[in-house]
Amino acid sequence: MIYLSQLLGNPVLDASGEKLGAVSDLGIATGEVFPRVTSLAFTGPGKTPFMISWRKYVESFGEDEIRLGVVATDVRFSYLQPDEVLLARDILNKQIVDTRGMRVVRVNDLKLSDTSSTQLRLLGAEVGARGILRSISPALERIATRIGRVFGKPIPERIIAWSYMDLVERDLSNVKLSVSHKTLDDMHPADVADIIEQLDPRLRGRVFAQLDDEQRADAMAELEEDKAAEIMGDLSEAEASRMLSAMDPDDAADLVGELSYEKAEKLLRIMGVEDAAAIRQLLGYRDGTAGRIMTSEAVSLPEAGSVADAVERLRGLEESFETVRYLYLVDEDGRLSGAVTLNALLVNEPSARLADIAAVDLVTASPEDDQEDVAESISKYNLLALPVVDDEGKLLGIVTVDDALDVLEEEHAEDLQIAGAGRSNSSTGEGSHSLLWLLRRELWFFFWIVGVAIMAGVSGGSVPLVNTLLASSALPIALILADDSVSYVTNFFLENDSDDEDSPSMLGFAIKSIGLGVIFGAIVFLIVSGFNSVVFADADGAELVRALLAGFSGAAISTIASFVLSPIYLAILRYRDRRNEETSGYVLSLVAMGIALATFALVAATITGPGIILV
Amino acid sequence: MAGGKGEPTARPKLTLRRVLAAMGPGMVAALAGADAGGVATYSNAGALFGFAQLWTVPVMCFLLIVAQETAARMGCVTGKGFASLIREQFGVRLSALAMLALLVSNTTVTLSEFAGIASALGLFGVPAYLSIPIAAFAIWLLAMSGSYRRIEKILLAISCIFVTYVIAGVLVGPDWGAALHATLIPRFTEDPRYFSLLVANVGTTIAPWMIFLAQSNVVEKNAREEDLPYQRIDTVTGAVVASAISWFIILTTGAVLHGAGVNVEGAEDAARALAPLAGDYAEILFGAGLAGASFLAACVLPGITANAICEAFGWERGSDRTWSEAPTYRILITAIVVISAGIVIIPDVDLFGIMMIAQVINGLLLPVLLVFMIGIASDKHIMGVYANGRIWNALTWCIVIAVIIFTVLMFILQAMGL
Repeated sequence: MIYLSQLLGNPVLDASGEKLGAVSDLGIATGEVFPRVTSLAFTGPGKTPFMISWRKYVESFGEDEIRLGVVATDVRFSYLQPDEVLLARDILNKQIVDTRGMRVVRVNDLKLSDTSSTQLRLLGAEVGARGILRSISPALERIATRIGRVFGKPIPERIIAWSYMDLVERDLSNVKLSVSHKTLDDMHPADVADIIEQLDPRLRGRVFAQLDDEQRADAMAELEEDKAAEIMGDLSEAEASRMLSAMDPDDAADLVGELSYEKAEKLLRIMGVEDAAAIRQLLGYRDGTAGRIMTSEAVSLPEAGSVADAVERLRGLEESFETVRYLYLVDEDGRLSGAVTLNALLVNEPSARLADIAAVDLVTASPEDDQEDVAESISKYNLLALPVVDDEGKLLGIVTVDDALDVLEEEHAEDLQIAGAGRSNSSTGEGSHSLLWLLRRELWFFFWIVGVAIMAGVSGGSVPLVNTLLASSALPIALILADDSVSYVTNFFLENDSDDEDSPSMLGFAIKSIGLGVIFGAIVFLIVSGFNSVVFADADGAELVRALLAGFSGAAISTIASFVLSPIYLAILRYRDRRNEETSGYVLSLVAMGIALATFALVAATITGPGIILV
Repeated sequence: MAGGKGEPTARPKLTLRRVLAAMGPGMVAALAGADAGGVATYSNAGALFGFAQLWTVPVMCFLLIVAQETAARMGCVTGKGFASLIREQFGVRLSALAMLALLVSNTTVTLSEFAGIASALGLFGVPAYLSIPIAAFAIWLLAMSGSYRRIEKILLAISCIFVTYVIAGVLVGPDWGAALHATLIPRFTEDPRYFSLLVANVGTTIAPWMIFLAQSNVVEKNAREEDLPYQRIDTVTGAVVASAISWFIILTTGAVLHGAGVNVEGAEDAARALAPLAGDYAEILFGAGLAGASFLAACVLPGITANAICEAFGWERGSDRTWSEAPTYRILITAIVVISAGIVIIPDVDLFGIMMIAQVINGLLLPVLLVFMIGIASDKHIMGVYANGRIWNALTWCIVIAVIIFTVLMFILQAMGL
């Protein structure tokens, strides 16, 4: 077991013990699972680079020196072969993709193993902390591992075998790799997309260029939209249009929708007529409708056909055709009349007429339907795909269950965000810190502290601290109610669709929320007047009581203000929703509490005496 | 603007838009450069030595352009961050050294930003034990979530308050002839403070973190070689604006404070330079500007540091990664914020002293990173035809050697002074 870091820089000695130079690199043959070291590169006097065959000349090697079997004059130099990779130049310190762990990592060291006295093979790349420590100093690694063991937490080596490495920075496409070598090409497109997102933008484009067309198309569909559009910008137009053709039309339409108008037009123009037409048709529908997420790749047959015809038709499909869930039947006028499941095709005789085995009571959607409704229908009726038909009943395409799932997930995330839970990507949600969670939940607490600090700071000179603290004891009421007013708005927004005729009108909502504000405000006022009549009699603490009263009056007025403002929040939510923009309920809460804090401070200051704010 | 020249492919319609699109990073760096450390250094320079250090401003401006342009060029050509390049060119051992230098320098700068926030809010009567925990918490949240970009513009607007130095400088009615003379003709004194101020001046103007910020901005935008003219415009405008502000800070403090014999020992003293303009409101104006610029820089710094270190060692990074995915990234940010805030909150600590010392440390460590930069930027294998020319290399070496000479002189004079 030996590491590249221990070999680099060692002296190379010939048979007579004369020093030829210092080791600078090792070349490996790439065709094997554990590649053999085939050449030795070293720098001679005057930094001249040399390369010799490892097999022919190296007699022995170790941590101190490499000894050749012949004298210097008998050594013949060689060149780097096309299937060779240099360890230090191409792999060490570079970013590689761990195709099994599916992460992008940096190589800290390379682990080699001596299979015989002269043969050396590459075991894998070390990507863990130990590689870093060893490269800094082997002693440091020993100390660290010992300390690790003392604490019962040994530091493991993290080795990635050659067969699970993909050298993203060096194009290996013309190097013959071993059969078992797993590169990005062999990975699931969703995983490739994940990896691409971890890379720097430039490298993203380069990795992408190494994939074949189909792999590209699939990975592109899985990428986040903004990143996908960015990569599209890097591809040549011919490549981009080829890739769009290979994508499912609905995914392609999504992507084209992200591009600038000029770019999109140019790409569509150089695509195949048929593919471009399919994409254009989908692009014609508004964002968020069934038309936008449907695919035109559906199999339709005349009613009169037999099972044998259907099977024949399915055999003739291209491999890249959207997965077939149902066959759709059309009558003589081209109207959708029924659907046949694949099961039905298998269990019935080839001669059976399709019309006899078809389901005729179909759930369909119009292309202008809201995509959320379509997704809900698919979920409700347990369908794998839902046909989309035009006004005359002609089949336009289908919405498949995977797209429906995406829609539901998206809507769910949007609703959550409006409800104030923040963006919960499945990956980032669970990891969020408990402190953050607390902050999100109990935002008023933070505002309260800041508010007290500011008011204490501003009024510092003119009003005793006790008065300010007493006044601000009512501040939480104002803040919490402001937060509640936002939850009230978001709840109302999520429950009532603005397009729905039954839902209360804006005016109704405004009256209702102002009413609520007045009631809440009145309750707080009642408490104030209660204080006023009971405690005010005591003359000694009159000033303190006045501060307290000022606080509560501030809270009452700020509460009313919060609820009076809530129709405006609703209007903002609806406006942004119509324009398909995302709104965060969290930000709304922040704004509402900020306003509440300001109102409170103003009212409290005017009651305790003007001139406090103006120091 | 001369943006489109030599760009046959660029259509004139797009040129202005692309210039504006490229704008920003340089401006951010410039205005965030007028942060706590910058204001402290320039105010001190003006108060102690009057106009004597005005000559540094054009020199620093030029050197700042050299450093920032090289960083942007490296980003455009390689598409990689500075840390990545150091690691791939110089291996583990040297990149560990470079990252250590960056970590120390950035932590001290963050520390000085916190000192800036504490002393700025101190002007409003908010004590440090109240302002620092709240500010630290907010900065930590913003740095962790990466959402400081959303408030970046607001803070930039606030820190534009320092533009008032320009007005104040004009209102004071200084001896323009003397100022111009001092700008063009260098003057030296044997005061050790003069040289420690020089080192601090270099450290705050050409801060290592700005180099990393400039390059990572270019990489994130995936700017190419053909975008270089636009990046250069951005770099130069940013540097010129930053230098103009620092020139006026030295001018104003030199005219107002040096004339009155005031030593800058705290924010109140530095704020007094704005009195000719704002009268009694000088402290409010100064405090708001200082707080804004310091807050902005303090939000950016921990993220830049953690990003560079994780980039060099190949650990996962980015604000969209969770604690379990990118533990080192998050630990680094947290540690930098906690350490900086922890030191500033120590009772009776000399806040202005911290700001000054941090800039000196920054200046001391700058040559380390610049040497790496020269090594990469002049390598034809990496940079191709965009490699550093001889003049550019010589200029960068100038910064390195100048800082080393200043440092040595500073220590010698300090030793003699004892």
